[in-house]
Amino acid sequence: MSKINITVEINGQKKSAEVEGRMLLVHFIRESAGLTGTHVGCDSTNCGACAVLLDGRAVKSCTVLAAQANGRKVVTVESLSDGGKLHPIQSAFLERHGLQCGYCTPGMLMSAYWLLSRNPSPTEEEIRKGIAGNLCRCTGYQGIVDSVKLAAERMKEAK
Amino acid sequence: MEEELTSTEKLVRGKGVYVDDIRLPGMLHMAVVRSPYARARILSVSGGLNGNELKGGVESVGEGAAAAASETTEPIFGLKSANYAGQPVAAVFADDLYSAQDLMDSVDVEYEPLKPVMSIDEALRAPPIYSSTKSNIMSEKWRGEEFEIADAPLVLEDEFLNRRVATNPIEPRGLVASSEGSRLTIWISTQSVHSIKEGIVGSLNLKPENVRIIQADTGGGFGLKGGMYTEYLIAAYAAMKYKRPVKWVETRREHMMASRPGRGVKGKMKLFADRSGRVLGLKGEVIVEGGAFSGGMGEFASNFIALQCTGPYLIQKAHVRALSVYTNKVPLGPYRGAGRPEAAFFIERMMDKLADELKMDPADVRLLNATTEPFKSPTGLEFDPSRPFIEKALNEFNYRKRVANGNAGIGFFVLVPALQPGETCRIAVRGKKVNVWLGGNSHGQGHDIFIKKLVSDEFGIGEDDIIVERGDTDQLEDGVGAWGSRTAMVGGAAVVSVARKIKDQIEKEFGEYTPEHLLSNEFDVYTFERQKGSLTSLGGNMASVDIDALGTVNVKEIDCYYDVGRALNIDMVRSQIIGGAIQGMGQTLTEEIAYGPDGQLLTGSISDAGVLNAESLPRFNIKLADSYSRLPHGAKGLGEAPTIGVPCALARAIEKVSGRRIRETPVKPELLVGLEG
Ligand code: FES
Ligand code: FES
Repeated sequence: MSKINITVEINGQKKSAEVEGRMLLVHFIRESAGLTGTHVGCDSTNCGACAVLLDGRAVKSCTVLAAQANGRKVVTVESLSDGGKLHPIQSAFLERHGLQCGYCTPGMLMSAYWLLSRNPSPTEEEIRKGIAGNLCRCTGYQGIVDSVKLAAERMKEAK
Repeated sequence: MEEELTSTEKLVRGKGVYVDDIRLPGMLHMAVVRSPYARARILSVSGGLNGNELKGGVESVGEGAAAAASETTEPIFGLKSANYAGQPVAAVFADDLYSAQDLMDSVDVEYEPLKPVMSIDEALRAPPIYSSTKSNIMSEKWRGEEFEIADAPLVLEDEFLNRRVATNPIEPRGLVASSEGSRLTIWISTQSVHSIKEGIVGSLNLKPENVRIIQADTGGGFGLKGGMYTEYLIAAYAAMKYKRPVKWVETRREHMMASRPGRGVKGKMKLFADRSGRVLGLKGEVIVEGGAFSGGMGEFASNFIALQCTGPYLIQKAHVRALSVYTNKVPLGPYRGAGRPEAAFFIERMMDKLADELKMDPADVRLLNATTEPFKSPTGLEFDPSRPFIEKALNEFNYRKRVANGNAGIGFFVLVPALQPGETCRIAVRGKKVNVWLGGNSHGQGHDIFIKKLVSDEFGIGEDDIIVERGDTDQLEDGVGAWGSRTAMVGGAAVVSVARKIKDQIEKEFGEYTPEHLLSNEFDVYTFERQKGSLTSLGGNMASVDIDALGTVNVKEIDCYYDVGRALNIDMVRSQIIGGAIQGMGQTLTEEIAYGPDGQLLTGSISDAGVLNAESLPRFNIKLADSYSRLPHGAKGLGEAPTIGVPCALARAIEKVSGRRIRETPVKPELLVGLEG
């Protein structure tokens, strides 16, 4: 298997590695960069547990080759909080029962982040659409929708 | 700083440690080679680790387990035959996942495909799959007594099917096994470290003291992660053989093929009634598609469903045959509800049929047949008076007013929790902290929250002083598991019992109990709090729907009225209910594990299997009955209630709007397409 050298900026830090051409970005993030907050939940791009920002846009990192991210910027759940301080979306998830088992949560948070960065005051309908690419088997989604709504309000107030 | 994070805070920071996040030096990744055929003779296997070396079977443990060892018990590897598509035949190991997948090509298996048995009806007709059994019947039992009602004014018969549904937690199954000296340590995603230990020790013939099972953060279970699986044994064996840690995490496709699904049950019901709507008797037949091997939920479920077939009604005569059959599919497992939703679906569909036959309101038929005294049905189902509960529920639903719109359905049920044999708890106080271990391991239901509340109420201390520990067989000598709506009840009771023992100890030593005495001393108390008898509770749902021209059902509203006893944390209870209700919706509308006639899986991905996303979310009205159980902390069962009641109510709502009789889940859009607007 031929290998290639790539450098990806993950959460503001450059990570270089020699990878196989077939390696998926999600595996690069988890295995090469050791950031295990980004999860794998399927092999058919359905679940969204692997969602990250690639050059500012939410993508399912299991559908992108690591090599395609060469020279680009990736943001993962680990950098949502500012040092010790949780991002308003994260604290809203804690307050409004946006999670139970937490496995879908990193992907949900990244999709919510991307949604709110495009649409700071989404309706409930828009929130549901915004997270429709992310599956959660525990919460039934109501807690997640409520969390995103609360986060949107808080983020507007803070501006 | 990390130390200060609560477990949920870790999860929102991406700092949880699930099995797949564990990395040990020298760790191997395992990939499993599986039979592509639903049924085949295996002529030879070579390459990888296979059944020529690792012989033996899977000891069935966990919910519904029964001991058995024969041709019909699941072997660790298929060696002479394969009996479902996805059955493991070999395993390979490499330094990383990609290389492990490449290595799968190095395994050679010669198959001679046979015609598989792929449905309950076929199983009853076809010659036996196994040469050692006379038919494809895995088990047969009867409940109730034979009866005749010669002159019943009304005899109604119908047949129902709940198709198989995958459990589909977003985190699939997985473990890391590591062996040092004589000691085997396993980190695993599980509902019960003690079940896993029992299965590993029994199947691989190890000494209990040499095996330690530690629970990793567990990304949902829903029944899937309570039991033993052949892949766990393979990984454990390989870790001991290669003297290197071994990791296995299933892919979603493997989950669809080889993780035990739930439901897969047919019900044939015959209801005898008079013209006023009173039920005189019930005859039934429950047939569970147990899949390829016996000894687990597939064998157990039919009798458990038969028990519950009389629902919350005063049915004085009942006789139910409980059958489980073999087919060439992955063995059945428990899925949230595990037999309870099926029984409720069968009897509630019949109550609606009775109402339609007599042109009565379905609520009136139910009230007429409900009980005003505690009742034990001929099949053995015990419950509190159901009439006052149903009346209250109808009020809470505002049924009389809302049903006039013509689109609502209702369903009522008795929730039979897995109370026995009880549960264990250990509380160790040291360094001013109270550490709690529970025998049933939370897999994402937020048990931490209610355990902390109970401990803090008992001891009069802040929740910050309490640490709820993960499952670990070295820290807690015995335990049962988190399934069957049991943990808030039996786990909670064990917590309270240990806390009170410690308080007694303090009173004896210091003359009185104070939180200061507790925190400034050391204590370590363990108990197995045994439970006997029954502690059922009642529940009801209402649902309303729209159906579009393509036959797509849009669920508008779901009402829940459940008796959960004392709710220890109301937000957590709501979140549990909504999560379960969406699963109940999924089962009714879209979820299914389907196979072609040749035995090939048709639903290979999580969306093919019909897991719903956020766009399907209806409005919820959730009300809880104000009650308190006989347990010291007042709790009753909860977790499975919505998966039992929602399909009943939803099926009726669909029936009313579509005018088509609903007999199966999922309800296929084909059945509903082309309705007049
Ligand atoms: S792992 Fe990427 S969508 Fe499921
Ligand atoms: S919280 Fe468990 S999958 Fe979403």
